[in-house]
Amino acid sequence: MKRRTFLQLGTVIAAGAVLDGCRSKNEQLIPYLIPPDEGITPGKGTYYASSCNACPAGCGILVRVSEGRAKKIEGNPEHPINRGKLCARGQAVVQELYHPDRVPHPLKRNGPRGSGAFTRISWQEGIGLLTDRLKALQREQSTNGLALLTPHLRGTLAELTGRFMRTFGSTNHVSYELLTPDLLRIAARRSFGQPTLPYYDIAETRYLLSFGADFVDSHLSPVKYGSAFGEMRQGRDTVRGHFTYVGGRMSLTAASADRWMPAKPGSEGTLALGIARLILAESLYDSGALAMNGLEAKKLLAALDRYDLPRVAQLSGLPQGAIAEVAREFASTRPALALAGEMVAFQSNGPESVRAVHLLNLLVGSLNRPGGIYPDAGSPSGPENSFAELIALIETMRGGHVKVAMIHGDPLYSVPPATGFHDALAKVPFIVSFSSLLDDTALHADLVLPDHAALESWGDVIPVAGTREPLVGLMQPVVEPLFDTRQFPEVLLATAHELGGRMAAALPDESYLELLKGAVRKQAGFGAGVDFEAAWVDLLQHGGLFKTKSVQPTGYRWSSDAPPPLPEDPDFAGDQKTYPFHLIAYPATAFYDGRGAPYPWLQQLPDPMTTVVWGSWVEINPETAAEHGIGFGDLVEVSSPQGTLRLPAVVYPGIRPDMVAIPLGQGHRGMGRYAQGQGVNPLALVARQGTKQQPAWNATRVRITRISGNGELVTAGHPQGSLRSELVEI
Amino acid sequence: MTSQYRWGMVVDLDRCTGCGACVVACQAENNVAICGKKEISEGRNMHWLRIERFWVGQYPDVRARFLPVLCQHCHDAPCEPVCPVYASYHNPDGLNGQVYNRCVGTRYCGNNCPYAVRVFNFYNHEWPNPLDNQLSPDMTVRTRGVMEKCTFCIQRIRRAKEDAKSENRTIRDGEIQPACAQTCPTDALVFGNMADPRSRVAILSRSPRRFRLLEHLGTHPSICYLKGGGREHV
Repeated sequence: MKRRTFLQLGTVIAAGAVLDGCRSKNEQLIPYLIPPDEGITPGKGTYYASSCNACPAGCGILVRVSEGRAKKIEGNPEHPINRGKLCARGQAVVQELYHPDRVPHPLKRNGPRGSGAFTRISWQEGIGLLTDRLKALQREQSTNGLALLTPHLRGTLAELTGRFMRTFGSTNHVSYELLTPDLLRIAARRSFGQPTLPYYDIAETRYLLSFGADFVDSHLSPVKYGSAFGEMRQGRDTVRGHFTYVGGRMSLTAASADRWMPAKPGSEGTLALGIARLILAESLYDSGALAMNGLEAKKLLAALDRYDLPRVAQLSGLPQGAIAEVAREFASTRPALALAGEMVAFQSNGPESVRAVHLLNLLVGSLNRPGGIYPDAGSPSGPENSFAELIALIETMRGGHVKVAMIHGDPLYSVPPATGFHDALAKVPFIVSFSSLLDDTALHADLVLPDHAALESWGDVIPVAGTREPLVGLMQPVVEPLFDTRQFPEVLLATAHELGGRMAAALPDESYLELLKGAVRKQAGFGAGVDFEAAWVDLLQHGGLFKTKSVQPTGYRWSSDAPPPLPEDPDFAGDQKTYPFHLIAYPATAFYDGRGAPYPWLQQLPDPMTTVVWGSWVEINPETAAEHGIGFGDLVEVSSPQGTLRLPAVVYPGIRPDMVAIPLGQGHRGMGRYAQGQGVNPLALVARQGTKQQPAWNATRVRITRISGNGELVTAGHPQGSLRSELVEI
Repeated sequence: MTSQYRWGMVVDLDRCTGCGACVVACQAENNVAICGKKEISEGRNMHWLRIERFWVGQYPDVRARFLPVLCQHCHDAPCEPVCPVYASYHNPDGLNGQVYNRCVGTRYCGNNCPYAVRVFNFYNHEWPNPLDNQLSPDMTVRTRGVMEKCTFCIQRIRRAKEDAKSENRTIRDGEIQPACAQTCPTDALVFGNMADPRSRVAILSRSPRRFRLLEHLGTHPSICYLKGGGREHV
């Protein structure tokens, strides 16, 4: 029996009885165009388990394949992260596979950079061009002239790229993502001495207090926490969990809150400490938890003396009464849970503000308890200063020391121009892109070696967070490759083989699949008596290794040498007089950091809060809009010290009057016909804060000017909702 | 014609976060067309399931509320009696069906639907190669001039019925999930047999939080909404 046939039989059983198709009498009438041993029955779907890599959450998926084509992606009910559920982005991954503008074969540039003029070449020639450059570097003894830039990789691929760069002799290996949780890791290290991300037990909590953590749309593991949120609300007979959201813009997550506290940007940490001080002053804290963490209430209260209610209210712009009420509710409803997210972390005082939220969890005894936070086991350690590494790489590139840049992902789109990345990259004489669509970076590349789509690839997907048990999700190809593409790690192996010598010796594996199997075998800890091939097939059927031998991280405990969190005053680029508004660039629900933009389903999906389709917009408070004479859909110019953009306005009742917000994800120069030219990229406005080696993407000030009445804004719904809410009684 | 099934759905608005996963699931399952910016600007969007968003109140005491709206599968459906060619009909399971090859495109049904959930193919839509590979073979691709709408994923219901019949049993509770309910991260959508008082959907539909959309019109929808509840501060 072929592997494929075996898997098909197995997955159907694993996926449950519903999935078994009907056997119509027509079956015998349809000719088998494909030999029957391929196991393809016309009209009948087969489900393959794989993993989603559309965002770092790493959910498990089942792909319905019919007649050799992927039809639909559903959640894998067995996967501990998403339990059969899936978000909009995950379902659109099938459009990555069948995108009409995929790069079908390797390309060599034959026009000026960025012009998009390429010639078709063979794989042999493509890998030859790359190895020639690398051999030249080896000859000149300047192996550090090679740079590799990728998104955050985990598992086998991270191991492989690491080994490739180390053996080659280059230290310019940077894994960077715009929405990286680095700052959350830094904060955890400062408070608890370990860089583990938090796991939130939202389902069991009774009071949820989120400081800018948009856990149902983008924070860490949206499907996992969305599902837990549903349980918190209505999963228990007698308890309905309460949810308070702190943040100047009402995000999709905040829209589900019972209470929205529009705090001034950058004041969230101060507010958390104000709440902490009140809890201490009124002795509402969990004294056992404090003692266990080696803290003394008196000392702590003295340290937080500055955070008295009137001052906190003034700094955060919130009424004193509301702050006191939330503090008392939070402390007296057990278990209670406080979260801190990217909206807070990407302020100039980010990590300390996140630590202030840690302190709140500690005070109410929510560390390592049901309904509280635990250290996450998904990927306990990870990069903590990838931004600093990126800045260092930019400096190296600017100095002309990088001769060959290998790039996976689209940094020309997702790295803010304020870092100087764009100019620095232009100085690199040879750029290799592995993108499967001609994205902004691939358009500037000299060589494009297109990667497989996710549904054609092997791999292991380790969730960034969202689990207390370490696990490895597996990706397997569910269809034959459509085009003449090759998986990125296969290209690395082939290149190493071509380079010969030390490189070939360090990367001897025949294929990435062999390497992957070896890694999984090690992780699973199978004994000598286990038939690995059978076990491997079993793992593929179920979608991964959900029980590993790895140890769970130890619980959170306040470090004895950790000082109390003291967020400094927030610092913003641009002076208040010229630039009166705070700019928030938030990940759009449909696009995350821009990865969702090429898929037409997601372009057509109305943004949940504004119902805008196919475009960008800037959200402005109704009062502010009236002051500036801006109406719904008007064209507005937004300027910051860094740049200027023109885009349509959405009059948005859920945002502070001194704030404007633009979603991330649109404004691609390339990325195929559906993304190209849609909307604008707000990163063009984002300024870099001083010389700090820390990203502060939400610390820029802007000004707005009305340009005209026609912003070409298209919304799927009426701005207020097409049925009047009194009529529908909600 | 009687049936032991009366399909219905419960939408728990206290769980719904408005994330839009159901909208894409529906589009993927049912070969719903991809519409460009121009088409949508003309009000000709092609979603069978939409999420209405309402703003209530003013800053800072403002709330956003979400309401997923799909075909309500009314038992007294305003769309049915106006169809001159019986393309819109009621099936024995209580589903409001739409026969695409009967439809002549008068759009009377769409005009008469108070929920505005019927969408009309004003254009022939294209899936540029190889995007057409994703089209599900279980569903027809509708052409210009045809009205279409939510079917509660009738292809899944049919398959489950055939399975149940071959095993000589009735369909189990939870055996059928339309694509939207299957993917909903918060479990806000629950589908099942309202005729079985012990089914999950029937139990939920007896909740004191229940209401039906535009109930006063007397359409008797098969979909029951549960109000968001709890302490409110605004």
